[in-house]
Amino acid sequence: MTRERDGYDPVEAREASADGESGDGGAEGAEPVRSTKRRWRLTRRGFLIGLGAAGAGLAVGAFFGRPVLNEIMAESMAEAEHAGSSFMQLPDDPPLWLEVLEDSSIRLSLTKVEMGQGVHTSIAQIAVEELGISWDDLVVEQADTSSRLVDGMGTGGSFSVATSYGSLRRAAAGMRSLLQREAAVVLERPEAALRVAGRGFAVADSPESKVDFYSLAGAVTSWDLPEEETLQLKATDEFTVVGQPVARIDIPDKVTGQAVYGYDMRAPNMLYGAVARPPTLEAKLVHASAGEAAAMEGVEEIVIDVENGFAGVAANSRSAAWSAVKAMETEWDEGHLWQQEEIEALIEPAGEGGITIQREGNAAGVLRRETAITATYRSPFAVQAPLEAPAALADVQDGQVTVWVSTQSHERAKGLIAEALGVEADTVRVVPTYLGGGFGAKLDTGVAVEAARLSRAAGVPVHVGWDRTEAMLHGYLRPPTKSVLSGALDGNGRIAAMEHRQGSSDVAFSFMPAFMEMVMGADFGATVGARIDYDVPNRTVTAWRKKLPVWTGWWRGLGLFANTFAVESFIDELAAEVGADPLQFRLDHLPDSPAGGRKRAVLEAVAELSGWGTAPPAGRARGIACFGSNTVVAQVAEVSVDEGSGEITVHRVDCAVDCGLVVNPDGAKAQIEGNVMWGVGSTLIEQAYVKDGRLELNNFESYPLLTMRDAPDVRSVLVDTGIKTPYGMGEPPIGPVGAAIGNAFTAATGRRVRTLPMTPARVLEALAGGGP
Amino acid sequence: MELTVNGKGYTLDVPGEERLLWVLRDWLGLTGTKFGCGIGICGACTVHVNGAAVRSCLMPLAAVAGADIRTIEGLAATDDSGTIRLHPVQQAFVDHQVPQCGWCMSGQIMQAASFLTQNPQPTEEETVRAMSANYCRCGCYVRIRQAVQQAAGMAGGEEVGT
Repeated sequence: MTRERDGYDPVEAREASADGESGDGGAEGAEPVRSTKRRWRLTRRGFLIGLGAAGAGLAVGAFFGRPVLNEIMAESMAEAEHAGSSFMQLPDDPPLWLEVLEDSSIRLSLTKVEMGQGVHTSIAQIAVEELGISWDDLVVEQADTSSRLVDGMGTGGSFSVATSYGSLRRAAAGMRSLLQREAAVVLERPEAALRVAGRGFAVADSPESKVDFYSLAGAVTSWDLPEEETLQLKATDEFTVVGQPVARIDIPDKVTGQAVYGYDMRAPNMLYGAVARPPTLEAKLVHASAGEAAAMEGVEEIVIDVENGFAGVAANSRSAAWSAVKAMETEWDEGHLWQQEEIEALIEPAGEGGITIQREGNAAGVLRRETAITATYRSPFAVQAPLEAPAALADVQDGQVTVWVSTQSHERAKGLIAEALGVEADTVRVVPTYLGGGFGAKLDTGVAVEAARLSRAAGVPVHVGWDRTEAMLHGYLRPPTKSVLSGALDGNGRIAAMEHRQGSSDVAFSFMPAFMEMVMGADFGATVGARIDYDVPNRTVTAWRKKLPVWTGWWRGLGLFANTFAVESFIDELAAEVGADPLQFRLDHLPDSPAGGRKRAVLEAVAELSGWGTAPPAGRARGIACFGSNTVVAQVAEVSVDEGSGEITVHRVDCAVDCGLVVNPDGAKAQIEGNVMWGVGSTLIEQAYVKDGRLELNNFESYPLLTMRDAPDVRSVLVDTGIKTPYGMGEPPIGPVGAAIGNAFTAATGRRVRTLPMTPARVLEALAGGGP
Repeated sequence: MELTVNGKGYTLDVPGEERLLWVLRDWLGLTGTKFGCGIGICGACTVHVNGAAVRSCLMPLAAVAGADIRTIEGLAATDDSGTIRLHPVQQAFVDHQVPQCGWCMSGQIMQAASFLTQNPQPTEEETVRAMSANYCRCGCYVRIRQAVQQAAGMAGGEEVGT
């Protein structure tokens, strides 16, 4: 296996582009022009959630009213979580993914970016499996916006493997089949008598009779997929590559310093850019001039565009650029100077505008009649903080814009650049590099626009790399949330009614057109994990969308972490009310359905792994929590509490996960480990607040991250319940972490902390009997 | 200004107050050393200066004039036939499939290599203490700890430093 780096070199990449346009690219040259046959496999809901089907959604709304439409949409989005719907499957045309190269190796082009989740390796495993070739005969290449596979989804939502798996299997099996058909002609033997041998086909019983892929590819006149019955997909129980802990193809370059990221991009004659930043949340640029920057050494270009709020500089070193932008004279209208108390008042899940996303029975009625238990859970703003800050290199020359950027969505970056520069989108090429972390932060990459603006003015390539403070303050954050849970129990220790009132600012809606907000009603990003998936006869979940002056958006798991913290903490509170074991209480409330059965499997697996029911080591206590979308997760946290200092130590988190078919078990476990660390950091440390009109953030001194000292041990099992397709793994395991830790804290102390993070101060307050 | 980086001598015309990190990355093109925070907290920019692990984002060039600098690009040994032999720490990071995004990994590896030179047979607790000032946002801490412990074993008490 080799990994092509061509796309990362500005000079070579330009040449590659020219080649591609002439159509002289090996086997591709022989490929006839063909119409793209779309194979829509639509379910009713898949149809409804497609962005292009918003009109149809509106029609449904016209007939049944918006509340019904919004409920259907919410249910559809929950079904698509971490697996995608059929509508989101990438196309399965072989040439969009695969190309036979002159040396008869096969190149796999991936629109998905590698940001540490191992996706290049796991998708490559799928291709190798169905092509039937050996690992060394595949070349993996990062696709860019010049690819004919336009991937508007970007890389996020834990969708990559799930939405590639079926399509790429078909594309790879199809390519193998079409090559085999040609091989039968050349070797004058029936197709069934042939097998893949190295980089070609050979006759099974006389291996010296063989032909290479490249000459076969030249003879293929149409790459249309063969008919369904002749497209021989491997049986999943015959897989030899998918399901194996294949070593990641990006790791050798990452231990030797050779991997190239957006921040590392270089080009001859390049300059370094920096951009003036608004001093407050609402600040608008009203005046800018070069000021002292004009005379500073190293400054080559100053760009001022007050109308578009832009003032930037290009200089011959990064330090010079950063110094110069501070020396520019800028004047801002600061707007209202927001305070944290105002933000918290806004996030209240009450009043007008609540959208009911789940309703069964009459929860409100039961809760009015019976003795209801109510608890309120809160989570703060949080920063994604990928360790590589936003960075891009842009080269604007001769009417062509080329940008290399650390991005989770090169298609979105392309659109933003074209719009900002006022140029046609087809003159813009965006090439994704490796990402030094993404976590949702790099789905929107304004830095690419900044580099392009400066390069156009300077006439040479310009690299813009944000410093840490810019990265903390000028991206979007995880929204703060407030969840009010109410429940009532019947005389048999069962939940009779449960209600979840959830308030959050935008996640997905920050990036979507307004008409989709009407169709969807509730922001599926903000509400993920908010549903009540237990067997409760009366249940209602209502979400309030709250507009804040702070830009909020994608963050690992979206609303999953905060919502699961609220729901799964409250389940423990209800269990405690009837004196039930938290594990048994959950098992007793699982629905009698396939989803309920899968959740039972992971709960029982994590119970066994953690020794649930046995005494924990002295001074420690355990807590359990779970979450299920398509991927199902259960966790047990083992903690101790220093009642003097208020410090919580998380010793271990055990996890059982059913993510459907596992493509790379070691990669899956690595994702579990990472998610646990994120969950622990967010439960114990991470928080951001507003003060005097700005976020109280600067660098890591004001927003420390979890370190190895505070990292728990992580043990995990992957549970197989017979699902034959893969679901997502990059985010679901973050869901239960906060609740598992909180429930363990309660088991240890008899108290509860309902506001995240569980800082020593909040712990001490709870131990003293206070707190919400 | 004279500087030796990965055994190669350089004469540089760079302001003395420029930070070593940017000299390595932008002047010498050695982008394996990463920028994370610029204030010495995260450790992504860790390099060796005369064998000691140093945060290059804080180090003015003038303060390391004449010093022997080693970066991630110079950690593996290349033998006479041009074959690259990974440093035991690098090999252990491959064996344990440690990196995810990889941005912090040069710093983690340089920190661990320097630490194991000073303490070739650390306890797990000593490893955790030595590695706890290097952030890994992807959360690879379990594997980093295991890999550093393995590297100590691999080195077998021999000198594993640069």
